[in-house]
Amino acid sequence: MITIRGLKKWFDTRRGRVEALRGIDLEIGEREFCVLLGPSGCGKTTTLRCVAGLERPDAGEIEIEGVTVNAPARRVYVPTEKRDIGMVFQSYAIWPHMNVFQNVAFPLVRGRKRFGKELVAEKVRRALHLVQLDGLEDRPATDLSGGQQQRVAMARAMVTEPKILLMDEPLSNLDARLREQMRVELKKITRAVGVTTLYVTHDQAEALSLGDRVCVMHGGEILQVAAPDEVYARPANIFVAEFVGEMNFVKAKIAAGSVECALGSLELPVPPAFAAAGAVTLAIRPEHVELAAADGASGPLVGTIASKNYLGDAALVEIEVNGVTLLAKLPGDTEIAVGQRAAVVLRPERWRVFAE
Amino acid sequence: MSVTTDAAAARPAAEVRLPGVGLFAGGLTALLALIVGIPLLMVVLMSLRTGFPGEGGPLTLTNFAAVYSNSGTYKVLGNTLLFATGTVFVALLFAVPLVWLLMRTDLPFKGAIYVLMTVGILIPVFLRTIAWILLLSPRIGLVNQWARQLFGMEQPLLSLYNIPGMAVIQGVSFVPSAFFMLAAAYRTMDPALEEAAYTSGVSKLQTFLRINVPITLPAIAGVMVYLFMTAIAVFEVPAIIGYPARIIVLSALIFTSTNPPTGLPNYGLAGAYGAVMLAAGLLLAYFYVRLVQHGKKYTVITGRGYRPREIALGRWKWAALAFALLYLAMEVFIPFLVLVWVSLLPHLQVPSAEAFAQVSLENFRHIFDHVGALPFVNTAILMFVVPTVTMVLSVLVSWIVVRTNVSFRGALDTLAFLPHAIPGILLAVGLAYLGLAYRSWFPVYGTVAIIAIAHTITWIAYGTRTTNGVMIQVHRELEEAGKVSGASTRTVLGRIVLPLIAAGIFNSWIWISMLSYREVTMALTLGTRKNVVISTIVWQFWGNGWVPQVAALGVVLVLFAVIVVGGLKIAFGHLGEWQS
Repeated sequence: MITIRGLKKWFDTRRGRVEALRGIDLEIGEREFCVLLGPSGCGKTTTLRCVAGLERPDAGEIEIEGVTVNAPARRVYVPTEKRDIGMVFQSYAIWPHMNVFQNVAFPLVRGRKRFGKELVAEKVRRALHLVQLDGLEDRPATDLSGGQQQRVAMARAMVTEPKILLMDEPLSNLDARLREQMRVELKKITRAVGVTTLYVTHDQAEALSLGDRVCVMHGGEILQVAAPDEVYARPANIFVAEFVGEMNFVKAKIAAGSVECALGSLELPVPPAFAAAGAVTLAIRPEHVELAAADGASGPLVGTIASKNYLGDAALVEIEVNGVTLLAKLPGDTEIAVGQRAAVVLRPERWRVFAE
Repeated sequence: MSVTTDAAAARPAAEVRLPGVGLFAGGLTALLALIVGIPLLMVVLMSLRTGFPGEGGPLTLTNFAAVYSNSGTYKVLGNTLLFATGTVFVALLFAVPLVWLLMRTDLPFKGAIYVLMTVGILIPVFLRTIAWILLLSPRIGLVNQWARQLFGMEQPLLSLYNIPGMAVIQGVSFVPSAFFMLAAAYRTMDPALEEAAYTSGVSKLQTFLRINVPITLPAIAGVMVYLFMTAIAVFEVPAIIGYPARIIVLSALIFTSTNPPTGLPNYGLAGAYGAVMLAAGLLLAYFYVRLVQHGKKYTVITGRGYRPREIALGRWKWAALAFALLYLAMEVFIPFLVLVWVSLLPHLQVPSAEAFAQVSLENFRHIFDHVGALPFVNTAILMFVVPTVTMVLSVLVSWIVVRTNVSFRGALDTLAFLPHAIPGILLAVGLAYLGLAYRSWFPVYGTVAIIAIAHTITWIAYGTRTTNGVMIQVHRELEEAGKVSGASTRTVLGRIVLPLIAAGIFNSWIWISMLSYREVTMALTLGTRKNVVISTIVWQFWGNGWVPQVAALGVVLVLFAVIVVGGLKIAFGHLGEWQS
């Protein structure tokens, strides 16, 4: 359990005050896998480092397992080494002067709770088994590949069986194929151990596949906290819509009972909050832009294919309709070609409406 | 201060294949081999000859027999080892905690401490030594005078005239170079290594002992070897404190063999002593290179360059600051204040109402009457010629080492690094012998030129380390992007490469100029009446016992250096902005 309330952090620079966190409120439940997602500089790493105690917030409170670890207003600060956490760093931070065993055993031998020799050996063996590094105990840390270092870092973070696991872009230094493999494994391991996890990434695919909940951050604020499918299907605002997955945007005006835009008059359920706004932005995912043969029976919207980007399993097609360029995601084997005309079908329930 | 093979190894595949480059590189290598090799050859040659420089005669081992059958020699070697070990210990005692405090904690006034550390480099070691003698000499020292007056003490309170005293003064003087070398190594270390220990539940002290210290150990060992190598050859403290107290070390022995207070110089004996020093220097240099290479394995390239959070010192903050101040007091404040106080008085005396009544600028007014303009002119020549020649040679060497694929570029780089391992006093003795024995071929003995040559050879090692670093930083693609844009080679060099390396070269230029300005060992060894420089004048004054004049000239020496370096840094500080 992690509870974050009104967390603020600022830096005073020569050009004035920079607010890194503008009041973060977040509750992470027991055994939950929560992902902080956002572009660089959004404050996700700062939030994580505050939870770790590596960074000290200027206002707000953090509770771990019911214990207040940060409350600057009350001068409460529990130093990192006294918090029941494990952490995996972006650079792995494998100590180069120790071998694999010594790295993983270090928290047990020098940490909060210390254990006898045999128990340490047993715990290290189990941790290395968990990350599939059995038998590499004596390997010097400097002789490990990137993927192996990543696993050692995992084992070291988990060996004390902490209640909380913190991960700071742990997969970003791996190459693409290995990253996907590790992503699947990481999910399995944390599930198996049942640890509460806070995970920072800027990679939306990683966030959607790993998280029980995804917390999208921007400019030191949380924009949306929800299950991955919810974030993808019902983004809270334009920024989330744009950052998570691809999205087509169309400017529109609200008229009585319908929405007017370059694509014509659309029959959409407009949330009452926007009815008074007048101007809105419409959004639709590329996979929801359907194309059909442009024969007489088709609907009113017909466009010309402007470009086609073949990706193997899919093809991304740009189609120009009434001066609007829409991106459509089609199956890879589509025979549609640049210059062809096609009818565009946009189902009303697929549209999302955002304030401008 | 990096390693000799550094540039050659880290360099991406070389591409420059111009006709004539090989020839030019060959010529440069030959020139370097000559200017570095000949003085060394002279040291060996003089050790094998007897009589005056230039007197032929058969080669003989008489000198070695004389030196190494004398039990006094072993006493000297013992003193040298004790002094060097003590010096390294004192230097690290201050430098290691200071690196950690300044780079990882929220110690207050860090900026000021950095600046004062640099000022410390600008106070010549011999001036600091003299100031400490004025304070702690058993007979004349201010502290001991004061103790006598106040408590009627018969015995001096504190004395510097012993090996620990010498080691403390020399060690304190080494702290800035140890600090900057260690800080450079520390900077390449991933701060997450430390944070990973905290998140593992390990306390700050345990983390410092089990993570920081072991990881920094190769770097510390490298610095230790480097300092030891330098300490066995330093001359100023041994000459000023050791010699009068009959604590003789190798460098003082070499100096007095060639510049005896009475009698005739004996270059043969100097050579025989020098051979040991040279062998030790080269051996230690080899270990140093090995250690630095080993340390490379520990440097990690991190994912992103965030600044680690500073460790809050809490109630230890003031203790830490006191520690830094204690060091700065020994290095800068106390020596400088003593010099200022003494320079204002007609003779050395402890502060009192009577003394304050005598304070005047009289000593400053008469500096010129005592010394004339010659030392100032000579020093100015050194300060301009030495850095200019050194940097031109360094740029040429680095260009070949970093940017071309000449087959012997590694050898050239090693050759340029070699002077690092050659004690300055030996280089000077070798050059003096060359100038005396082969006067007709090398007619510079007794001129300021021979000092300039000695300085240039010594600092070419420092110069090339800087230029190698600067040239590696300028990514080859920056040059290639210029060429692809259609710019000629000349335009690329003038408009892209030169502006990018200018700041680094300018910085080195200033430093070498300042090092040349404060250097005394070589200037003294090569000195005659005609080529006196300011530093040797101070030395002569001290020898004559003109204490207030020494202090006055010393104050001028330090203030001038601080003003020049400070002024240039402020005026041209913007040059290096994009490099940070």
